[in-house]
Amino acid sequence: MADFIKHPIVDLPDRKPDPVVPADQLHFSDEEKKEIQTWISRYPTADGAVMRALWLAQEKFSFLPPEVIQLVADEVGIPYSNAYGVATFYTQYFKEKKGKYVLDVCTCFSCQLCGGFDMLHYLEEKLDVHKGETTQDGVFTVQEAECLGACGSAPMLQITNGTYVHNLTREKIDALVDALREDKMPAFTSVTLPQDEDEMGGNRRTDVSSTETYQAGPVSETIR
Amino acid sequence: MAKVTIDNQTFEFEGQQGLLQFCLDNGVDLPHFCYHPAMSAPANCRQCLVEVGTPQRDRATGEVNLDDDGNPVIQFMPKLQTSCSMQMSDGMVVKTHRSSELVKRAQKDTLEFLLINHPLDCPICDQAGHCPLQNQAYKHGPEGSRFEFEKVHKPKHIDLGPRVVLDGERCINCTRCVRFTREVSKSDQLTIIERGVKNYPMTPPGVDFDEPYSMNVIDICPVGALTSKEHRFQARIWEMSKTPSISTVGAKGSNCYYWVKDNQIMKVTPRTNMDVNEFWLADEERLEYTKFNDDRPEGPTVEGADVSWELAWKAAADCLEGVDGSRVLFLGSAWATVEDNYLLTKLAKHVGAPAPMYLPHRKAGHGDEWLRTDDRTPNAQGCELMGMQHGVIGELKAKLNSGEYDVVYIMEDDPVASAMCTVNELKNVKVVLHYYNSTNQTLAAADVALPAAMAVETVGTYVNMDGHAQRLRPAKAIAGVNRTLSMEIGKCRADRHGTPFDRWYNESNLVNCQPGWVSLPEIAAGLGLELSYKGPRQIMDEVSESNPSFKGATYSAMGELGVRLETTGITA
Repeated sequence: MADFIKHPIVDLPDRKPDPVVPADQLHFSDEEKKEIQTWISRYPTADGAVMRALWLAQEKFSFLPPEVIQLVADEVGIPYSNAYGVATFYTQYFKEKKGKYVLDVCTCFSCQLCGGFDMLHYLEEKLDVHKGETTQDGVFTVQEAECLGACGSAPMLQITNGTYVHNLTREKIDALVDALREDKMPAFTSVTLPQDEDEMGGNRRTDVSSTETYQAGPVSETIR
Repeated sequence: MAKVTIDNQTFEFEGQQGLLQFCLDNGVDLPHFCYHPAMSAPANCRQCLVEVGTPQRDRATGEVNLDDDGNPVIQFMPKLQTSCSMQMSDGMVVKTHRSSELVKRAQKDTLEFLLINHPLDCPICDQAGHCPLQNQAYKHGPEGSRFEFEKVHKPKHIDLGPRVVLDGERCINCTRCVRFTREVSKSDQLTIIERGVKNYPMTPPGVDFDEPYSMNVIDICPVGALTSKEHRFQARIWEMSKTPSISTVGAKGSNCYYWVKDNQIMKVTPRTNMDVNEFWLADEERLEYTKFNDDRPEGPTVEGADVSWELAWKAAADCLEGVDGSRVLFLGSAWATVEDNYLLTKLAKHVGAPAPMYLPHRKAGHGDEWLRTDDRTPNAQGCELMGMQHGVIGELKAKLNSGEYDVVYIMEDDPVASAMCTVNELKNVKVVLHYYNSTNQTLAAADVALPAAMAVETVGTYVNMDGHAQRLRPAKAIAGVNRTLSMEIGKCRADRHGTPFDRWYNESNLVNCQPGWVSLPEIAAGLGLELSYKGPRQIMDEVSESNPSFKGATYSAMGELGVRLETTGITA
């Protein structure tokens, strides 16, 4: 078959999706509205507040189907198309329903060299999903992420746009998955730098209890 | 006056001006994609990069530093600047690709980047031949690409709306279409979705790109990403001739180009006229071109029988011969040109009939204060200025039914379709009809039916609702007219490419019709009235001299952009 016929066809996002959020739930509370108005007042034009408002909507509705984006646009007072463009630009706005915990495994350069793909593949096998998919029970979504800015503690992953888990190993992943199944979120962990060991008693951040020391990263098994 | 030096050439300018627009206005060609004079400059295509320097000033005194020769020291900005978003200042020095290797290199590299994921499907792309990306890649781009990998794929042939089709892969994300819906048409129906190499313009879910001006994005798209559903794959650009003319759909008189292939109108695109339609054209004006091609008559008829033109003109004259002038109803037309209506007025006067009237064709609520108007005709204002009254349908109907008329002379209109009368009500009167399409409902009642040339086949003048007098130029040929002899007719593809022995040449689709300025003098001659003009140009000269409303509206003065008539009391 000629090469051009084999080209992958990229699907268009559903242009006429059925609403997922019931109409009676599709609104902001008075406090939320007030909060959005405060954000709007901070910027010269209303569209400055759209990202905060989308974030608030995502926390409320757990993800952003079109009708929620429309709701945000109306509340902020900007065109729907504008808000939709913003929502699709950022990967941390979820446009479709995700699992309860979204595991973003970094596979960018540093993590890749230190075994980011090993960790991703291990997680995929362990949870029996491919990247981008959600487990049958709806608890976990495994995703591949670009650099999350924690190269010093590579390989790492992020849980639902929040807590980082550093210096990943298979054992750590096993423990993490077990803990999350019991809804135990790992605490925020500060990663100390080598020089902190001498100068600051090992902890630069005095406000966090949980710390982890920098360690020379492992080397990816696939490139070794 | 402030000065700016571009490629060692000094220009003077006033006020705040964008550098790119200034360059384009002064004949300095700079490649660009995202910039459009009617919209904001986002500077995202990076194609218009130039070197920009300003006079160096002493920090302490604020004086301009001078070099040993007494010339100001120019400090160049460390990086290349996008000229579209750069405002000019006094003493600015600009180096474009014509004098700077750096700029040349930057333009070449930008093009290489733009072409990395752009499919090279020019042979099947509708934009090929008038594609800014294609042209600029030839002019400024690299010879080849160093990108040897599989290109990014995006959705293709998506119906954005009822009239516009998107090919996501061809898009270079200049955002012109998005800015058009945000800033010009204000429908906010488009946005860029996704990010990085995956992005493309799209409507948000549940929204159709169906605004009445949607097809303008097809023209402003600098690649073949947005194409017309109607015109897609119908004709290549080099197979068509384009003629600057006037749209016939509304009273705004939007300037347009008619694109003709094989004597058929293929598409209609806007023509820039800042006094009328600026850069835009409404969708309805682009889509209503099939009337020029379909259901066209095949020669004149008398009592339903095909006759020669000479006999038909004679028959029309016979209808008017010896009748009581006051019992003749002359109907001019707001679709006919000023010239034809003028000739009809003269004919009516000669017969002794009251001045011709014209039937209004208004659709209340259709207008939008922009390019679409309530009035569905292009020349109602011209008729008014000519001193023609607009006929009141009910009154005319009553008069006709009470037997006040013996002859009804209709030029280029359709009273039956306008509900002025029924075919039966016209049975007792003689009817002379100049008509455009064989679908004309009055045709059944016509004693003499004379096919008339439409706006795309004739020479003439329309006056828009604001009193702007503009010229019509014939875009397509009609049967029996030697194009080269008729000086007003623009060159068409057949003239440029073909001799009758050439395979480009095509004599099909020639409509056997005559413009009013040919038919009316012939009929008048049969009644002893001499209307011998050399052509519409001479008629318009006479109109502009005799009628103060049309003062100055000669063909040479109107040119391509028309003249604004200095008339008071113009009503929309």
